[in-house]
Amino acid sequence: MTGQGEVTTGPLPIGQFVRLVKQTVVRDPLFKNQALRGEVTQWKQYASGHTYFSLRDQDGQMRAVIWKGRCTIDPSIKEGSEVIVLASLDLYVQRGEIQLNVERIEPVSVLGELEKRKRFLVEQLRNEGELDRPRQAIPLIPQHIAIITGAGSAALSDMQRLIENRWPGLRRTIIGVLVQGPRATEEIVRGLAAARQLSNPNIAKKRGEPPVDLVIVGRGGGSPEDLWAFNLEPVARAIIASPVPIISAVGHESDVLVSDLVADLRASTPSDAIERVVPVLPELHYLLDEFEERLSVASRRQIHDSKQLLSILHARLRVAPMAGLNRAKANILSLASRMKVATHQSFSLQATRLAHFEASLSAIHPQRVLERGYSMTQTSDGTVLSSVKGLEAGQNIILNFADGSADAEIKNTQFNEGEK
Amino acid sequence: MTEKIPTYTEAIQRLEAIVALLERGGMGLDETLKLYEEGADLLRLCKTELAAAEGKLNELQLDEIETQLKAEEQ
Repeated sequence: MTGQGEVTTGPLPIGQFVRLVKQTVVRDPLFKNQALRGEVTQWKQYASGHTYFSLRDQDGQMRAVIWKGRCTIDPSIKEGSEVIVLASLDLYVQRGEIQLNVERIEPVSVLGELEKRKRFLVEQLRNEGELDRPRQAIPLIPQHIAIITGAGSAALSDMQRLIENRWPGLRRTIIGVLVQGPRATEEIVRGLAAARQLSNPNIAKKRGEPPVDLVIVGRGGGSPEDLWAFNLEPVARAIIASPVPIISAVGHESDVLVSDLVADLRASTPSDAIERVVPVLPELHYLLDEFEERLSVASRRQIHDSKQLLSILHARLRVAPMAGLNRAKANILSLASRMKVATHQSFSLQATRLAHFEASLSAIHPQRVLERGYSMTQTSDGTVLSSVKGLEAGQNIILNFADGSADAEIKNTQFNEGEK
Repeated sequence: MTEKIPTYTEAIQRLEAIVALLERGGMGLDETLKLYEEGADLLRLCKTELAAAEGKLNELQLDEIETQLKAEEQ
């Protein structure tokens, strides 16, 4: 075991080495109380009272810190401010990073030169109507995506991983470019030009692949100056000119760049771009399967319903003549009963008449006549006699009375006066 | 404005409409069969489109793709 302070002969522990470097750095008078000029970026004031930022210009940059209460800070200083600082070099041992300890800070101008140029460009594009121009629709199923980003970057591997999770076999062409540094702008523009060529159907045909129909251009997070290429006019113009939709996917959530303002879709990060345009294949299959199922179930039900309707019609058709018959039968029955009633009425009328008739008849019945004292005379062969004509003396006759009869013999006959 | 509505989107929208119509019911056999066939065609089209989106993964440096494209121009 090697205790602290012990003399060692082996390799130097890194912490001790960094501490040695720090001693050298802080002792050098050249690095003490230097007046430095640059642009403020990544300006962050913490609740603790310390302020951290980077001081940069076109050629270089360095982290800087203003410890709490070390100096007054002009409230106009912010991201992009051009400042002059009085600072000494220090080394943060835990991270091995060199930083400036700032003793004084003064703004040169409120807006940094870059920020000013960006604003100018945005204003210019707005006046040209490019910010309000209609955007191209993102295809639901991209047939060929071109991704323009840093080769081997963390952003690219994030995007690749996400695509593998969502739709592993999705066709894509990755164009590796420099996304920061002096050549970034030019390379991004050339990458966009290559993607544009890949979107040409003739060229795509020669290459034996579908034309590019969607382009993602972007990079992962970084300092504003790292992302700066996406704020420059050549990149903005190349995006505007694209015949296929372009997604700008630069930096973090909070970074808004000129490329974001002119693209057809702004993604907050490269991963966000993938999530917004690459569908999840199993979900698509599930959706189609569901449609297939619903289509077949609904059609079958429709056919079943039609068949059922048909059989109902058929059944009704079959019973239709019966219904006519039944109706006729009912008609007849009702007629019959009406007839019966009518006949009965007629009968009873007749009966009444008959009774009257009988009554009047009975008044003139022979019996009634006999009862009143008359008698009826018949010959022995039963002929009722109503005249004396033809009767002879000695002829036997029968006299009929109400309660009996008597045999008699004619003595003589004579006509009434005037008769003969 | 070059608003390109992808055929897949259109197909899905039409499919939704067809399924909704069939599910509401009350149409004749003729119309049912016609709608079913149209729906089945759309499903095939969607599946073809999904299959067509699958392909090679090209990972190229800017110089490589530019060289390839230059060669193809000739």
